[in-house]
Amino acid sequence: MSVTNIYEETVFVEGSPCVVLDSVSMTYKVPTTASSGDAQDGVLARSFRRLSGKPAQVKVNALNSLSLVVERGESVGIIGRNGSGKSTLMKLICGQEQPTGGAIYASSTPILLGVNAALVPDLSGDQNIVLGCLAMGMDRGTIDEKFDSIVDMSGLAGAIHLPMKSYSSGMGSRLRFAIAAAVDPEILLVDEALNTGDAQFVDRSRKRMDELRDNAGSVFIVSHSLSTIEDMCTRVLWLDYGDLIMDGDPKATTTAYKKFISRLGKGYEMQAYHLRDASRKRLVAAQVTSRVSGRRRVGEK
Amino acid sequence: MSVSNKTPPPPLAVRSLSVDMRALRRVGARPAFLDYLVQLWDFRQFVAYDAHARVQSGTRKDRLGGAWLVLNPIFNGLTFYVIFGMLLNTSRGIENYVGYLVIGIFMFQFSSGSIISGARSISNNKSVVQAFNFPRATLPIGANIRELIKAVPLVIAMLLLVIVIPPAESITPLWLLILPAILLQSLFNLGIGLILARVISTINDVGHLLPFLMRAWMYSSAVFYSYERFIDHPEIIQAMKLNPLFNVIDIVRDCLLYNTVPSWESWAMLSVFALGALCIGMFFFWQGEESYVRN
Repeated sequence: MSVTNIYEETVFVEGSPCVVLDSVSMTYKVPTTASSGDAQDGVLARSFRRLSGKPAQVKVNALNSLSLVVERGESVGIIGRNGSGKSTLMKLICGQEQPTGGAIYASSTPILLGVNAALVPDLSGDQNIVLGCLAMGMDRGTIDEKFDSIVDMSGLAGAIHLPMKSYSSGMGSRLRFAIAAAVDPEILLVDEALNTGDAQFVDRSRKRMDELRDNAGSVFIVSHSLSTIEDMCTRVLWLDYGDLIMDGDPKATTTAYKKFISRLGKGYEMQAYHLRDASRKRLVAAQVTSRVSGRRRVGEK
Repeated sequence: MSVSNKTPPPPLAVRSLSVDMRALRRVGARPAFLDYLVQLWDFRQFVAYDAHARVQSGTRKDRLGGAWLVLNPIFNGLTFYVIFGMLLNTSRGIENYVGYLVIGIFMFQFSSGSIISGARSISNNKSVVQAFNFPRATLPIGANIRELIKAVPLVIAMLLLVIVIPPAESITPLWLLILPAILLQSLFNLGIGLILARVISTINDVGHLLPFLMRAWMYSSAVFYSYERFIDHPEIIQAMKLNPLFNVIDIVRDCLLYNTVPSWESWAMLSVFALGALCIGMFFFWQGEESYVRN
């Protein structure tokens, strides 16, 4: 089935955006226990794999070609079901993973506020703070200034001098959040799992995030809480199975997504996918072309 | 009529966005080689802290703590002394065999320790690599500085053993020459560690081969026998002189035991290998900079 896309006229993006995704795609190769994985390989590869006892591998398309331009001042919410590619997209933007296709451009190093950034288990909490801040490019003077506020943020108090491997998972994630939140990034990525920790920490982290969001050039938020997304974002992306379904106004996008989810929950799959496909048919996808302004004139001389 | 739930229909239209890319940088992009070296210098505090903090935590689990840094090579030396010196008699014709053996083992252990921890520095620190964006070569460099710090008590123990165990050697100004030798040796270790770090992060299996390679390297470095036993096979001696670790050990033995100025050939060979390994290693490692973040 071949459908020719309608190409709209080129839009010139003023100024310099914060984040540009140029047809980014991501494919993972993962081991599988199903024998159907065999079908992808040749005879030779298959027998070699059997010999070495490695499981078969399948390709998983976590994200299909996606282009996006995010400008300064935009707060972008990302919604979708589990496995729709939200976290993959976040990891790609902050550089934790390299895309298998396309490229991501940013005006400065994006910082991911997540709880999955593990540190060095053998070192104590305070050593991890210094090491983490140095790794983010801070200098010792700034770290000494901010050290107390980082410890306060983590709420670890006396436990800060114990090795990190002795921490509970809640303590570990609080420390990681506190370290990542110590810098004032221009591009901020927030992963949903911030709900960990006790009420007191949730409160403190909320406050810090609000501060960071106010100062940041642009923010990406992944959350399953649609009210959070509606409150905080100026633009919402809906992803499903690695495809962009909707991109636009928070209210409209979350409403469409809610309808889709409720149909699915009631077991009306056909209806649900009809709704999704209808949304997708209204989507105006982006395509990025690079322009070198200013230089053109020099060339014309 | 069937609705495929996997593939949605194509979008309505594609809008072409023209973007001024000059102020943007590709996320995770590898900088030019010289910029990379400058970046490494900017992260010197990270390297120093990483090395320092981990030396302290390395032996925290053991009751004897830091004493193992010295005890380890001493026990190693004892084993070799009993097996090769007393049982197999490889000591024949070697003057001050204990000193000879101690120097060989201590110096070789310094190299093998540095090379192995440099080589594994990326795969062992995957979590830090994925959490932060920093020039990755800081990790092998940190690992090597860590080994160099650990080598200080090791070298002091080595010198004490040479002084104390009969036949006792006397301290001469020549002893100072071991400092540049150790410095060149650690540059060589860093270069090899950088090369292996990239290889292991691509092909993890090589990590399993590393201990065997190091053992073979030790056996060919005249640690517990004299190279003079190959006096009838000049080609073997020639090949041994191309081994940078043999040259280091030989230089240190000349200074500490035999009170002779090491030959300029040994120094030249060591310098060429050290600087060559460092340059090649740094360049090779830099080329893979974008790949270390992947699982």
